[in-house]
Amino acid sequence: MDNLILRAKELLENKTVQVVIGYEAGPTGVVRPAFISDPANADSLIYDERCVQNLAVYLTKPEVKHLGRIAIVSSLPVMRSIMMLISEQQISYDEIVVLGISADGVLLDIADLSVMQGYIDKSDLSNPVKYKELLAELKKLTPAEKFEYWQKELSKCIKCYACRQACPMCYCTRCTVEVNQPQWISVQSNAHGNMEWHILRAMHLAGRCISCGECGRACPVGIPCHLLTMHLTDQVYNYFKVYAGTSEKMNSVMSTYEPNDKESFIV
Amino acid sequence: MARIGVFVCHCGENISATVDCGKVAETIGNLKHVAYSTEYKYMCSDPGQTLIKDAIKEHNLTGVVVSACSPRMHEPTFRKACAEGGLNPFLCEMANLREHCSWVHEKNELTTEKAIDIVRTQVEKVKLNSALQPIKVPVTKTAMVIGGGIAGIQSALDIANTGHKVIMIERSPSIGGHMSQLSETFPTLDCSQCILTPRMVEVAQHPNITLYTYAEVESVEGFIGNFKVKVRKKAKSLDEKACTGCGLCTTKCPQKKIPNEFEQGMGMRPAIYVPFPQAVPNRPVIDRENCTYYIKGKCKICEIVCPTKAIRFDQPDEILELEIGAIVVATGFDIKHADFFPEYGHGRYKDIIDGLQFERLASASGPTAGVIKRPSDGEIPKNIVFIACAGSRDPAKGIAYCSKICCMYTAKHAMLYKHKVHEGKAHVFYMDIRSGGKNYDEFVRRAIEEDHVNYIRGRVSTVFERDGKLIVKGVDTLLGAQQVEIVADMVVLATAGVASSGAEDLAQKLHVSYDSHKFFAEAHPKLKPVETNTAGIFLAGACQNPKDIPDAVSQASGAAVKVAALFSQSELTREPLVAIVNRTSPPTYSTCVGCFMCQSVCPYQAIEREEFKARDGKVVKTVAKINEGLCQGCGTCVALCRSKSIDLLGYSNTQVYAEVVALLNEY
Amino acid sequence: MSDFEPKIVAFVCNWCTYAGADLTGTSRIKYASNVKIIRFPCTGRIDFMLLLKAFSNGADGIIVSGCHPNDCHYTSGNFHAKRRWIMFKELMDFMGIDMSRITFSWVSAAEGARWAEVVNTTVTRIRELGPYVSYKELVNKSVEEEVKNG
Repeated sequence: MDNLILRAKELLENKTVQVVIGYEAGPTGVVRPAFISDPANADSLIYDERCVQNLAVYLTKPEVKHLGRIAIVSSLPVMRSIMMLISEQQISYDEIVVLGISADGVLLDIADLSVMQGYIDKSDLSNPVKYKELLAELKKLTPAEKFEYWQKELSKCIKCYACRQACPMCYCTRCTVEVNQPQWISVQSNAHGNMEWHILRAMHLAGRCISCGECGRACPVGIPCHLLTMHLTDQVYNYFKVYAGTSEKMNSVMSTYEPNDKESFIV
Repeated sequence: MARIGVFVCHCGENISATVDCGKVAETIGNLKHVAYSTEYKYMCSDPGQTLIKDAIKEHNLTGVVVSACSPRMHEPTFRKACAEGGLNPFLCEMANLREHCSWVHEKNELTTEKAIDIVRTQVEKVKLNSALQPIKVPVTKTAMVIGGGIAGIQSALDIANTGHKVIMIERSPSIGGHMSQLSETFPTLDCSQCILTPRMVEVAQHPNITLYTYAEVESVEGFIGNFKVKVRKKAKSLDEKACTGCGLCTTKCPQKKIPNEFEQGMGMRPAIYVPFPQAVPNRPVIDRENCTYYIKGKCKICEIVCPTKAIRFDQPDEILELEIGAIVVATGFDIKHADFFPEYGHGRYKDIIDGLQFERLASASGPTAGVIKRPSDGEIPKNIVFIACAGSRDPAKGIAYCSKICCMYTAKHAMLYKHKVHEGKAHVFYMDIRSGGKNYDEFVRRAIEEDHVNYIRGRVSTVFERDGKLIVKGVDTLLGAQQVEIVADMVVLATAGVASSGAEDLAQKLHVSYDSHKFFAEAHPKLKPVETNTAGIFLAGACQNPKDIPDAVSQASGAAVKVAALFSQSELTREPLVAIVNRTSPPTYSTCVGCFMCQSVCPYQAIEREEFKARDGKVVKTVAKINEGLCQGCGTCVALCRSKSIDLLGYSNTQVYAEVVALLNEY
Repeated sequence: MSDFEPKIVAFVCNWCTYAGADLTGTSRIKYASNVKIIRFPCTGRIDFMLLLKAFSNGADGIIVSGCHPNDCHYTSGNFHAKRRWIMFKELMDFMGIDMSRITFSWVSAAEGARWAEVVNTTVTRIRELGPYVSYKELVNKSVEEEVKNG
């Protein structure tokens, strides 16, 4: 990853950016996010198949924004997240430098927004293959089996909201779960409240989820909650033929419509 | 502590016949926070309303539930009664016991139980109502009329005559519209120009009317009483004040072979031109697309010959920013041209023309000075065929509707032809004769009986050319679907009336809805035919659907009255049931995170940005803000907002939630 | 379960379905009294969370109804609602939550008879399905847990 390190150093040295967000190996060898502001520390940057965390989540955090201009190591999901965040006016492209990384780990030259757009446009935006298989398996179940499956999974939820914290799109400073007038979602962790929380989360990400799978990875009790949002990503494409994170303009399906949108259940 | 008053109406026996009103009042009276509960035979009657007013004072009520008919019927009545009783009118709700209960269910326990549930739900809602003040918005008393055809002219004159200012926008160089192209008008056969021209002049001279021709709407912002309209005044390449309208330039222009739009391509015009002799304003414009100077960089003959040096080749387009209180859309219609019809040769045959072209042929001021000459060789046709419903009422062509005016103008055309070519034969193919209107059917009968026009009930399958003649093949359904073949010298298609070009674009700028044919949509097909779904924007004439002159004029006057009624007030009062984005103390300012997805769902552009700045002037947060003048209270943004930062007054989250809980739970 | 009377709540828009239901009344067309209406300005205002709240408060069935496409009083509220319901239904189906308990319909202000029909077919269907036991159990279990845990 010499190119990445060189580029990061260069950006920090010529003060184009104040911080580079990337990945590094921690003392125990576990990959963790790195916030590098000293060019001398850029050598610790790594990029390999373990570097899957969606770093875009940091872009909306006030404490990160205060650091100054940011260069961010960006795989496709990160680039799509950045696109979503621009379209939802949470960040501006001027505030960041995208250190794009291709699917085979090569540093891309993302000179500007249109180059990033071009890279996204020619990429496969459907759900990653391993998740597609899981989704297909789940869809084969009968409604009762599905209900049982999700009840079993969701009963594990401890309402830690790690899924929310890990998601770059869950940037609201106040979440619906924190509203108590009225109390939309029960505060306690219980079967009913857990289910409603996960429905709410999935619905709020409908048409906005960029299929990074970070929510599922973040879950400490192993709930495959990413499958809920990824299922909706599939459906958004089925119905509306669009993927999230493909335009700097607001185009998410829930905030737009076509008069001839098709459905088969409204009588 | 809430003190709710509940008033159960019998509505004569309309409610009490199936609902035990006594039991409802009694049960509700036992609920917590219900300070007073009673029943009465007619709540909407004067004594009924007095009952409410008295109870408000006597029991110090903080909310009222009138359990009677549909709120769509009497909500304003009871809200007014509450206001007169000293209670904020928005602290009154209605429980619909009549339409939604007593009239649709049998008399039994369950019906009374349902009635109790309905009232209970409203009691829970009204507890959460807040006192709201009506929104007052000022009114700019200047109207804009878009389109200078007969509908626009009528509207503008009517509004101007009420003493209000009118700005008229017309995209072509002259006002007059399609009516100015007509030769005679049905059912009186009076000359169109003769009745129209005085009106056009009146527009130009009216002290309250400002006319901008060669101008189009660029953008529309704002809301009823307070529109901000940007108008693009296209460069006429002329100093209108210096020009005297002598017309020398138009005669000297070397470019003379441009198809004349006013003559429907039946005549030619120069590049600097006045569309027709009676044009208002009677000043030329340079058609830059066809002017030799703009194409090749030299010529300027008009500039040389102009005695007042009025030509301005470098004149730019001008953008006017206008403050407007109400808008009348009168952009009219277009017709389908012969090239729309493959079965009639796609416009390949010169002697197949459309109705407007025939008008120009028949017009004394037209290219043939009123002599009916066919376009190909200038011969007078001996045999002429008129085809009605060319395109109209033909779902296969995408036009299912009746264009309404064609039956009448086809009869007129046939008549005019017979009056001019006495020995000629006129044939009309028709589907049905639709001649509803004052003296209309009599007119058609005259064409048939006095002028001996041959009416054939049937459709024409094809028209083709053979030996210099047009062969019209059709069927006569009144003669047992017999094949008919007519050898004609000329064919006139009564083509469908369609939406004016650019109508869709304009509708979008105005945020007004339009139908699948791009005609502007009225707010209600029967009861609000001149209003649109956007308050303060009205419709006149054929931009809504094809109309004849009297209909267009009547509607134009209707629209003018709507505008005048609006301008009769200095302030508008609006129901305050609008959305609101919450505000919190700094440094949060609002729980809104500023994603502005709401902006994209709002059909009224009511969502604005509000910036909060730190002491150093740096913007620290940008959040959504509702313009309450624009918001119509649909609440789509409320349901979309992920952080629940938007709420809708009158249908707030806590209120609808309370309704759900009350309706489904035992009491 | 022959004497089971389902609780059904209807979320309707003011301009079309509410007015349509008014017309049902004016026309004196009878329908089952199980359905109770909550009025919204527009289907666009109807939060999907309210449907969940209806179930958790004991509804056995739900009707959601508004203006036909292109007839929305606010031009586009029902189009946005339609997208919302498409997503909601797909998610519910994926989680095994019974969507046959919700009737989504367009009923115009002129369709008084149709409103009665929508209500009656929904009531008949929910009667056959019986009480929404699985959702109620979920809620009850959670309430018990809460009580147990204080």
